[in-house]
Formats: sequence, C-alpha cells, structure tokens
Amino acid sequence: MSEWLESAIARAQGINDWLAPKRAHALELLANTKWPTRKTEAWRYTPLRPVERTQAKVITDKVELLPVAIAGLSAIELVFVNGQFDQTQLTKTLPEGVSISLGSDLDTAQQTEALHTFSTIKPERHIFGLVNDALAQDVVVVTVAEGVEVTQPIRISSLLSQGAESHTRVQVTLAAGSRLTVIEDVQAQGDSFNTAFVEYKVAANASLEHYRFALQTGSNVSIGGSHFSLHDHAKMHSTLVGFGSELSRLDTDIIHAGEFADAKLNAMYLLDGKELFDLHATVEHAMPNGKTEENVRCIVADRSRAIFNGRIHIHRDAQKTLAELNNRNLLLSDKAEINTKPELEIYADDVKCAHGATVAQIDKQALYYLQTRGVSRSKAQVMLNFGFINELIDLMPNAALAEWIRPIIRERFAQMEVK
Amino acid sequence: MSNTKSLLTIKDLYASVEEKQIIKGLDLDIKPGEVHAIMGPNGAGKSTLGYVLSGRDGYSVDSGSVTLDGEDLLEMETEDRARAGLFLAFQYPVEIPGVSNLEFLKASVDAQRQARGEDAITSADFLKEAKAACKQVNLPVAFLKRGVNEGFSGGEKKRNELMQMLLLKPKLCILDETDSGLDIDALQIVAEGVNSQRSADRSFIVVTHYQRLLDYIKPDFVHVLSDGKIVKSGDASLALELEAQGYAWLQKEPVEDELEG
Repeated sequence: MSEWLESAIARAQGINDWLAPKRAHALELLANTKWPTRKTEAWRYTPLRPVERTQAKVITDKVELLPVAIAGLSAIELVFVNGQFDQTQLTKTLPEGVSISLGSDLDTAQQTEALHTFSTIKPERHIFGLVNDALAQDVVVVTVAEGVEVTQPIRISSLLSQGAESHTRVQVTLAAGSRLTVIEDVQAQGDSFNTAFVEYKVAANASLEHYRFALQTGSNVSIGGSHFSLHDHAKMHSTLVGFGSELSRLDTDIIHAGEFADAKLNAMYLLDGKELFDLHATVEHAMPNGKTEENVRCIVADRSRAIFNGRIHIHRDAQKTLAELNNRNLLLSDKAEINTKPELEIYADDVKCAHGATVAQIDKQALYYLQTRGVSRSKAQVMLNFGFINELIDLMPNAALAEWIRPIIRERFAQMEVK
Repeated sequence: MSNTKSLLTIKDLYASVEEKQIIKGLDLDIKPGEVHAIMGPNGAGKSTLGYVLSGRDGYSVDSGSVTLDGEDLLEMETEDRARAGLFLAFQYPVEIPGVSNLEFLKASVDAQRQARGEDAITSADFLKEAKAACKQVNLPVAFLKRGVNEGFSGGEKKRNELMQMLLLKPKLCILDETDSGLDIDALQIVAEGVNSQRSADRSFIVVTHYQRLLDYIKPDFVHVLSDGKIVKSGDASLALELEAQGYAWLQKEPVEDELEG
C-alpha cells in the first residue's frame, strides 16, 4: 500500500457525518485493495507515481474561483471550489421540479435513499472511487421530479486552486419521464489533485444529455468517473472531450438496468507533450433489448500517451442487445503511444455486437488534395486533425457547447507539433 | 498567337511512379487562353501527368523540365504550384468528413490570396461568392455546410471541383477525366462551367478517354498520349478521327515499325 493511500485512510477515519456507513464500507474495501502497479490490468499503462508524489493538500480557507464563461449557454451553475460546494454561486431560482441540495441538508429519509443510490450505480472496483467514497468533501444531490423536462442545463464545475486536493461527489436522479442536460467540468490549476465522481440514475422513460469536459492540462492529476444506471426505455447521450495532463483518468460505466434503454457515448481526446489520458468505458447489458453506441476518437502528438479500454459485457439474459463500439486513433508522432483494448464479453446468443479499433497516421490522399488547392502542408494537417474530431463535435446536441468547444480544439491542434 | 509567351512548357519529361516509368519523353507547350485535349487509351499516363504536374508524393520526375509562366514548376511544393495558378480537377475527388466544404474552400482561397499578397477576404464576402459559385454549378447551397465531398454523388463531386475552380481562378486547369461517371445532363453543366471560365489568360488541359466531352468543350488542340508520350497532335478534328478509329492503331504501329526495321 502506498503512503499516500495510508494517509488518505487515516484522514477518512476521522470523519463522522451522514455518509459514515458509506465511508466505513469503502475503508473496509480499501484495506483489502492492492495499490495498483503495472501488473494491475486496470492501471497497466497509467503509472500512479503522480499520485504517490503529489504535494496537493485539502484547502479549507475560502478561495474565490469562478467557472469559465461559455457564450450562449445559460446554465444552472453548481460550483465546487477546492471540493467545497459554493452555495453563493448556485443559481438562485431553480426551475420547478428541480432540487439541488447539499447532502448534509437533506432529511434522514432522503439521506437514506441517497446512500442506497450511492451503493447501486458506481461499481466498487474503482480504487479511486473508493477513495472518493471515503474522503468525499461536500456531496450534492440533484433530483428532477417525474415528467419534468428541464430545458436549462445544469453545469457542475469543480474548480481547483494551485496545489489543492479535492474529492467531489454528485448524485443526479432523473425521475420517470423527466429530461435533463448535465455538463461536468473540471478546471484545475497546477499541482492539484482531484477525484470527481458523478452518478446518474435515469428512471424509466427519462432522458439524459450529458457532457464531461476534462480540459485541465499540465501538472494536474485528475481521476474521476461518470456512472449511469438506465432503466426501462431510458435514454442517454454523452459526450466527453478530454485533454491530457500529468495523469487524467476517467471511468465511465453504463448499466442497462432496464429494458429498451438507449445509450450513446461519443468521446474524443487530444493529447500533446507528455500528457496522459486514460479512459475506461464499461457497458453492462444486464437486461434485454438494450442499445449502446460508442464512438471514441483519439489524437496523440509528441510523446503523449492515450489509453482506451472499452468493455461491453452482455449478460445471459440480455437478448436482443445491439451494441457497437468504434475506436479510431491518430498518431501524429512516432514517440506518441496509443494503448487500445476493446473487450467484448457476450453470454447471450441473440445479440448484435460489433467493435473496431484502428490506429493510423494522417490520410495522405486528403493531405495532397488540400495541398493542390494551395493550403500549406502544416495547415492541411491541422485541418484534417480537426476534421477527425469535428465529426463527433457535430453530433453534440447542444449547439452553444459545440460552438464553444470548436475554437478551443482548433487552437489546441494549431499548437500541436506534428513530427 | 505564336508570339505570345507560353504559359506551360513541358520539355522531354520522364517521370516514374514507384520506380516504374510512366511518362517517357513528353513535350507540350500551352499558351494563355488555349484549350488542349489529351486523349489516349487506359494506361497511357494521362492521370499520371496531372499528378506529376501537381507534385504528388510518390510521383518522381526522372528528367526533363516543366515551367509555368517561366517559373520552374518542378522545384515547387504542391501548395506553391497551386498558388502559382495550377489547378487539378480530380477524377476521384477525396472525401474529407469533418472538414466542411466552406471551411475547405475558404482556406484554399485565403492561402492563395495570401501568397499573392492580397488582403484576406471576410467570411461574409466569401460566403456570398461561394453561394454564387454553388448556383453557377447547380449545387444546393447546403453542400457548403457538408463535409468535403462527403456522401456526394459522382456528379456532385465533379461539380464541387468545378466550384473550386471558379473560386480559385487558376491560370491553368487540368481536368482529369472530368467526364467519367457523368450522365449527359451533368456533363453539360460541367462543360458550361468550364466554358464560362475560358478566357484569354486561362488555359485548360482536358484529359479524357472519350471524344464526347469535346463536343461540349471545344479544344484548340488535341494530342494523343500513348505509352507516356504524345504520338500525334492536331486540331479538334483529330478527336473525331479517334472516335471513329479507336486506339487500336496505336498498338499496331510500333509493331509494323519493328517489322520494317
């Protein structure tokens, strides 16, 4: 066990609040969990040295930080600053049927329910999920009432100042037939370390539009997850945009807990320098008639490293499942690294399941075509890289977010050195 | 006309693709405003010529010279050849999903204006020009928003090439089998577009297998390309002769030569 984990456990043992049963359970599991090494499959390509060496500390003094503005987006702002829920930044008037509460402010019955939900969505195999269970600072619970269609997105921002450590946790419940858009965003200054987990319960016929932006770069260490439980006829459409940092790791779990659920996940990550980004996406088809479509695209430049593990597990009863996983990667340098591993486990016999993973260099024919029109080779390369990712941006349902992220990605490509 | 300076001069050009020589001693001289048709059987090197002139990777010049407006074309990068006024309309235009046609067109025009030392065109002005060009080649304006050639039919791709030509206003256009895969209506639209661009300072090389296109685009000269060199040149009537005779005579002649020798 690492020193870092030992001290984390010691710190967690001192906390006594409404989450105590959850914390105790996590500590028990952590005590029996081996610190991941290169031999641990889930962490094979992502060394934890940056965590072992982190000097980040929980900062309890109040720090003023504001989330970046997104033009054209009018969102309900839910802001964590260094792990603390900033009530002053919470949008004052919430739409009818929407509630956003600090877990400690809930009544006992609500807390019991929230605790129960916590134990049903995020799988217990994520070691930093357990760390987050044990060390969670402020926990926020969001609910949307039955049949309520919320047009204003909720934006969950986790802001970290220089050298800060934070552990944030949000639970979002969409009651039957409701509709909601959630944007998760981490904005971290240097030498920070955070775990950020959000769990979504999407009840029958409810529909979730989800975004996760992991654009923090540099010396930040960020480990988190978005976990979804889909019930009968539930729908989700998720978009992930990631840049790398010293260590960025994200786990996505989609559980088809009901029939006829429909999940789409479009993920794109663009790495430069010595950055690392690791996405583990797991889909559990536990029930019949579910549908999943995953598109994961990655571009690596310089000496960066990308990891993708895409697991689709179709249980024995999950007949008539349709699942598709497509992973395409572009290498811009021969020192960059892509580790991709699609994993299909299929125990039902009447399913359609397809997967593909490709690693390629830039399309030479397209490059030549652009050059014959007078576009310089370097500019053409940037255009093609952008196009590769832009195909997925075009699929983002929220136009304001698409317009916001496009120039950010374009700028990143312009800076990437092609070797 | 003979006093006018040449726009393109190819002298004794030899070029190879992957070590296989395809162009074998080609000479061609084109003056501003002329339309030259290059005809010939499959495998004669027709498409190779366009690729060599545009500087495609993998197409290497073994010997000979090519000048455009007096400048050594072979010394230039592909993009600089385009900026110098060379335009190649592809037989099979490339699909580029994710890059919008409008972005692609604007980047091309911007690069060429910049190379000429002109100010960048504003997005609003460019959109106006692009819409007008769409109309001229009979492509719906919605095609500007789509990925470059993405999911376009054969005819739409050819019209998109033509639209690029309208916007880039090149000095020398090489149309590489622009007629292939087009029905008669699409062919007429493309031909009208080309004809509208004919002017005293713009020249064309029309590469084609069939005479049909030349009913609509009247060439000043017709050349027959065979085994990497021009074996016969004439005026527009040569195309009609070829139509009547086919290309079989090309294969026969060398054999007879051998017998005589």
